[in-house]
Amino acid sequence: MTTPDTTHAARTSTPAVPMVGRSVPADDAGAIVSGALSYVTDRRASGMVWAAVHRSVHPHAHLRSVDTSRAVAESGVIAVLTGVDVPNNHLGSDPANGPVLADQVVRQVGEAIALVAAVDEATARRAAALIQVEYEPLPVVSGPVTAPDEVASVSLHPGGNVAGTIGFRSGDVDAALGTAELVVEMDTVTSAQEHVAIETPGGMAEWDLGKVTIWCGSQNPGLHRRLVAHALGLDADDVRLISNPVGGAFGSRNDDPVPVYLALLAWHTRRPVHLHLSREETTVAGPKRHPYRTRVRIAVDGAGMLSAIDSRAIADTGPYVTSGRYVLKTSAEMSVGPYATPNARFDGTVAYSNNANAGAFRGFGVPQVAFGLELAMSRAAERLRLDPAELRRRNLLRAGGRHSLYGHPVGHGFRAVETLDAAAEHPFWREREAWAAGSVGPWRRGTGIALAIKGVGMGSGRGDIARARLIVATDGQINIWAGPNHTGQAIETSYRQVAADVLGLPADRIRVHVGDTELVPESGATAASRSMYAGGAAVERVCAQLRAALDEAGAGRPLQEVAAELVAAGRAEYEAEFPLPDVADPGRIPPEALAEYAPHAVYGCSAQVVRLEVNRLTGEVRLHGVVCAVDAGVAINPGATIGQAEGGVAQGIGFALFEEYRVHEGRPVTTGLENYLVPTAVDTPPIETILVPGYEGTGPFGAKGMSEVVVVPTAPAIAAAIGAATGVWPQHLPVTPERLWTALRAADGVVAA
Amino acid sequence: MNVNGTAVTGYDAGARLLDVIREHLGLRGTKEGCGVGECGSCTVLLDGEPVCSCLVLAGQAEGREVTTVEGLASCPAGARLREQLVDHQALQCGYCIPGVMVSATAHLSRTEEVTEESVRTAISGNLCRCTGYTKLVSAVLTAASDTGAHS
Repeated sequence: MTTPDTTHAARTSTPAVPMVGRSVPADDAGAIVSGALSYVTDRRASGMVWAAVHRSVHPHAHLRSVDTSRAVAESGVIAVLTGVDVPNNHLGSDPANGPVLADQVVRQVGEAIALVAAVDEATARRAAALIQVEYEPLPVVSGPVTAPDEVASVSLHPGGNVAGTIGFRSGDVDAALGTAELVVEMDTVTSAQEHVAIETPGGMAEWDLGKVTIWCGSQNPGLHRRLVAHALGLDADDVRLISNPVGGAFGSRNDDPVPVYLALLAWHTRRPVHLHLSREETTVAGPKRHPYRTRVRIAVDGAGMLSAIDSRAIADTGPYVTSGRYVLKTSAEMSVGPYATPNARFDGTVAYSNNANAGAFRGFGVPQVAFGLELAMSRAAERLRLDPAELRRRNLLRAGGRHSLYGHPVGHGFRAVETLDAAAEHPFWREREAWAAGSVGPWRRGTGIALAIKGVGMGSGRGDIARARLIVATDGQINIWAGPNHTGQAIETSYRQVAADVLGLPADRIRVHVGDTELVPESGATAASRSMYAGGAAVERVCAQLRAALDEAGAGRPLQEVAAELVAAGRAEYEAEFPLPDVADPGRIPPEALAEYAPHAVYGCSAQVVRLEVNRLTGEVRLHGVVCAVDAGVAINPGATIGQAEGGVAQGIGFALFEEYRVHEGRPVTTGLENYLVPTAVDTPPIETILVPGYEGTGPFGAKGMSEVVVVPTAPAIAAAIGAATGVWPQHLPVTPERLWTALRAADGVVAA
Repeated sequence: MNVNGTAVTGYDAGARLLDVIREHLGLRGTKEGCGVGECGSCTVLLDGEPVCSCLVLAGQAEGREVTTVEGLASCPAGARLREQLVDHQALQCGYCIPGVMVSATAHLSRTEEVTEESVRTAISGNLCRCTGYTKLVSAVLTAASDTGAHS
């Protein structure tokens, strides 16, 4: 880093080099490429002990007894903890979120039963394996997605196996379906997707003078601090969580219990504790994208106008609800896609099972429902002999228009038309016939297009707020503590770009800190596409306060001089918050039910085109390229934004073609990366990102969130391309060669053996 | 064995090379992502060959030259790669990057005609969950052209 120029003027009317809109490498990029960056699981301390977890081998069972005596007797073991050692054995206040350590019943293979701390990792793992649990197996609930005809004989929670429902309708869907010229139905199944953050959960914790400090990845440090405080019976102020640097998240670090395990062990042993889960533990016990079974029907008239969208979705949340109800809520809102139609209906259920615990995953309920809707749109276009892009264009929700289900306005920054056009104008789409004509032998070529919408932030009525704090030092150095946290997006670099331009100062005068509950004012989750939008807006606001103070002190004076005056006058510290806007008008939603449906005031969208080949004989799919147009408003850091888009598309490819966490009667079939396939560099084609010009009036410098919506259109675009290439429209994800081969054989009239 | 050019002794020959590197030597640039040779985060060079250090016992590296991500700066291809990965904004969380650095450096060091396909194959044992690989591939190709290896 260069030495700051302390002679720089306190402000200039326009910064010499605006930072917003520049592609700036992440602050820690240099440390990453040299191997010097110390992640939370790289942390060590003297006197540190190593931890391991004993986990359930049954999907559903009463615990008759947990005998830790052999583990306790093992040489080198320092502590063995079970549920009775947890002061408040709950992960939060809702019992449906499960215990910290199961003490009466287990509801999933891999559920944590005991924690061990020992002098080294091998001893901890060996001792954990010595814990004897006597199980009384109970009937297994496979759930409505895995086993749609199941009649469950047991309830996993006192209220039954339904964790939540949501329903809403506008207009008269049945009448529209009954009179439409064309009704297209898709009955889709989407599978449990594992995040596969490359750094598995883990970190370190230390107990000192009545306070616990935890270094562990978290997408919501404030929430984790409360979970830890609740479980240990501490004041939240006595819990400090430092949540980066961390190796990826994608939703997996929203509800991760590891910070609680670490704190508990440090509290009991009074020693620094290290825990790093194995990939196998993470694969089996970690959260997944909710599997869904969705039936969507669209009604279209002869002119290609949508007269109805009707969706029914069932989601499997596994043994505990965590974010399941919110995921379903998001599905409901996005079930109508970016389309205008007078009649819409959504009926959704989220149910418990003894399968993998499901949680937040990038896209949060949208990829599951958008898949069938978009596939139906492409299929309808084919039936009507219309360009699939044109069919979508005729039905697009325009900026300022009203949401088809809830009737609230969608905001003026929404750029669905421009985003769709940007993708459709790409040669991949324009030259799709020439591409198809080049098919050779069994390799049939196809091109698909799809579009998606996703709200920014937690939604209306949820009290969603981001905050920032700023201190200017006598030497003019500016420190900003802001949330949401960074889990790989270089968010602090983008916050710094915003700060530099508000203050009219060089970016190297400004340091941004994230992910520390002691210093950063609570700002909510790194989730819901809200970080750049909400965190950036809070940074903009706090910097505007300092800017006003600098202006008041007189333009053109040396910053150092003015800074010293501000410090002397007790005006060195500033705080600001940005409450995310609620919808201007709740439309058809009763005002008192606003939080129940939580519609968004701000949306983004993405349109993607996929070019591929399918081997008609083997069912193999080869991707040749993906074009991703994304409506991100003003990109604060275009290089970072494009990186988010490319990474999102790759996860969409995995969801479409490769990734499936499989269970059979509650027992994992998938156990690790040897049988859970994520796309490699040879599976992933070149991805071309188009940042669609736009401006979100409520966001910092016109920016809005975009990192989730880019995951959504990939799978339906791939499936539509397969449909175009082969005439077979796959409705079960992932489209493995075996599934596609079976469907192709069926289409050829060959009955499977 | 030599690690990054320095002789190393006093380790348990039956330990995983990964653990000797991380815990005995404290070189924590080398990461563990799966422990079974599937993710490539623990890739190091063993006599110039990329290997998953979670699959090698320290005793198997005896008398040999081990290069970790920390040792790559001393070779020209490694230094160029560092620069290009940063400039291309080719990394996000960065946890896979030490492994990618090692695999790509080996590829550049011993390949005359580096192509997009050859780069994708060379890093196909390194799982990255953040980037979608597009920028990683561009960065490696640019580093290759700077070292004269890009056809």
